[in-house]
Formats: sequence, structure tokens, C-alpha cells
Amino acid sequence: MAALVPPPVSPAAAEAIKPEKVDYMDLPTPIPYEEIHREALMSLKPEHFEGMRVDFTKGLNQRFSLSHSIIMGPTEIPSQSAETIKIPTAHYEFGANFIDPKLMLFGRVLTDGRVNARVKCDLSENLSMKANAQLTSEPHMSHGMVNFDYKGTDYRAQFQLGNGALLGASYIQSVTPNLSLGGEVFWAGQHRKSGLGYAARYNTDKMVAAGQVASTGMVALSYVQKVSEKVSLASDLMYNYMSRDVTASFGYDYILRQCRLRGKIDSNGCTSAFLEERLNMGLNFILSAEIDHMKKDYKFGFGLTVGE
Amino acid sequence: MAAKKSSSEGVLSRVSSTISESPIVYRGKRAASDAGFVAKKLLKSTGKAAWIAGTTFLILVVPLIIEMDREAQLNELELQQASLLGTPAVGVPQKYGSNGVKFKQKQNERKQQQHQLV
Repeated sequence: MAALVPPPVSPAAAEAIKPEKVDYMDLPTPIPYEEIHREALMSLKPEHFEGMRVDFTKGLNQRFSLSHSIIMGPTEIPSQSAETIKIPTAHYEFGANFIDPKLMLFGRVLTDGRVNARVKCDLSENLSMKANAQLTSEPHMSHGMVNFDYKGTDYRAQFQLGNGALLGASYIQSVTPNLSLGGEVFWAGQHRKSGLGYAARYNTDKMVAAGQVASTGMVALSYVQKVSEKVSLASDLMYNYMSRDVTASFGYDYILRQCRLRGKIDSNGCTSAFLEERLNMGLNFILSAEIDHMKKDYKFGFGLTVGE
Repeated sequence: MAAKKSSSEGVLSRVSSTISESPIVYRGKRAASDAGFVAKKLLKSTGKAAWIAGTTFLILVVPLIIEMDREAQLNELELQQASLLGTPAVGVPQKYGSNGVKFKQKQNERKQQQHQLV
């Protein structure tokens, strides 16, 4: 945080300590617009899964690594009735990553015919480009998106282009060292919909509060408090004013030396936990549990992550 | 004798029917059935609440207790080792602390990478 510190005050005049002056010309760069809820998302929404998952990452080079992943378990099929229909599936995913300070490439191929690709490239010091694409064997389900980000001294601007005539732009500006405000606008050509959104984020060393409103009817507020170095608590409220749907959730995130444990309880009667435990160097054991009391749906998963 | 019998039967049956059809007994029976109904509902809802509370506690709190216990054990072990080897206590937590920070940093880096590329 940039601030002009006043010259040291003599002990005699200790009662008149001036507050630190804020230099408005030297504010920090804000968080990117899509990561405004980053802390809350990291704490409240880990990747729950059902079944068994084994990930193996092998580095061939300093920059290049391959990853093999096996996932076996029931997957939910969206159904019209209130019951959840699960079908056991199993697949293997092969991936390659190339990580360079200026260029990052990620590719994944799955046995059910899906191909994922992600590119992140720094075109210049301030301008960077991200692209991601997903190809599937089902017709009309493939999509791709390109983002161009420009990072200024105390602002960020982003332009987004996707298939199906999806256009989006967002801008976020640091207003004070703690507060940043931003807005976004998007247009979806295929569905002929356009939308506007605003976001604000206030963070100090101990807490982060973020709010986002969109004209699609979504209001999302989140608050994360860092209770100590190892523990942080997060809460989140999502309200859709078009469909009058409210969801509130509370969670904790314990980052201990040997493990990371995240637990969450929801106003939809859903409680979940996610544990990543370090068994050995490069060997992580993952447990995921999700209980939905309303729908009586129970999902438990375990897995292993091998590799750095 | 028949008349005596019938009259005695008549008296008995009349007395018992008076008792069984009296308003007090009727109200008592209704109260008992209501109480039984309420007790059954209460038991069921207590059972449901206990189930929900129990499973939620099991998912949210038990792993936390286990992990905190392990952390406390690890701390104790370190303290013991520090006092055994004679190294100052300040040095050892830093070393393991940096491991923990590395774990957390790696986690954060991985998550950041995943989020950045969404």
C-alpha cells in the first residue's frame, strides 16, 4: 500500500500523530474484475466431486509437464423430476502444461472426446491475452473465448470475445488503497441479451468485502475475515431479484501445516467439507463430502494427487 | 329370577355405560389420543433434527477436531525436539512455518492459476 509517512513526531507532541496520508496518484493495481470474489470463492467453493479421483503430474522439464488423471464415480444427469439421477462413469484425462513467465499453455484431452485448451500470453508488459476453448463431440456444445486485459497503474480494463457473438468489456479502478470499483457490460448475440454490472471491493489486511450487482438480476455479496494466519471465515449471499431466489452460505477455511480443510453450510440445507492432506512430499490425499438435507443427496469422494 | 337378573344386568350395564359414555371419560380419551399424536410427531421431528444435527456435525466438525489435534501433536513434537537438540525455539517454528507457507502459497498459486484461466 502506498502512503506518505509523516516525519517522526517527538515524544512531547505524541498526542498529535497525524494519520498516514494517502497518495492518490500512487494507488495499487486492483484485482481483475472476474476475480472480485476470489477469496470467498476459494474458501467457499472448492471442487467437490463424487467417487474416486487420482491426479498424477510429472514434470519433464522446468517448464513442461504432463498430467494423467483418472476419475471414476457417479455423475449427475440433469432431470426434470425432483429426483437426482446418477450414472456411473469413468474417464481418463491426459494433459500437457507449458509454463513460461510470458506464455502459459494448458491442454487436456478426455476419453469422452472433450478437448480443453487454455492459453495465457503476455503480449507486452501491460497487455495480456487469455483464451480458452472447449471442443466436444456433441454438436453445438463447443465454445471458445478470448480475453484481452490491459493493466494500467491503478486500473484494469478487459475486453472479451466469445463464440456465439459474445462480447464483453469490464473496467475496474482503485479509488483508495482499500477500495476499488468497477463495471462491466456484455452482449450475447445468440440469445439477444445484454447486461450491465457493477462491482465494488473493499479490502484491508484482515478482511475482504465484495459486492456485485448485474442487470441479469444477480446480486452477490461476500465477506471474508482472516481471523488468524491459519484460519479464515467467509460468508456469501446470492440473491436473484428476478426469480426471488436467495442463498446464503457460511464457511471456514483452515490452512494448517499438513492440511487444508474447508467447510461450508448453506441456506439450501446443504453442508459440505473438503480436506486436502499432505501425506508426504508431493503426495496429497483429498476427501470431499457434500450432504444435501433437502434433496437427500449424499456425495462423497476421495482421491490422491501425486506430483508437485 | 329373570326379572332380578335383568334388573341387575340392567343396573350393571347402565352403570358401565354411564361410566364409559360420560363426558369426562370421553374427554380423557380424546386428550390421550391427542397426547399420543403430539408425542409421536415430537419424537419424529426430534429424530429428524437429531439426524440433521448429527450428520452436519460429523461432516463439519469432526475433521476439524482431528486436524487440530494432529497440529497440536506436531507442535508438541517440535517443541520436544527443539528442547532436546538445544536449538532456540524461535528457529524451529520458522523452518516449519516456511514449509506451511510454501504449502499455502502453492495452494494459492494453483488456485490462482485455475481461476485466472477461467
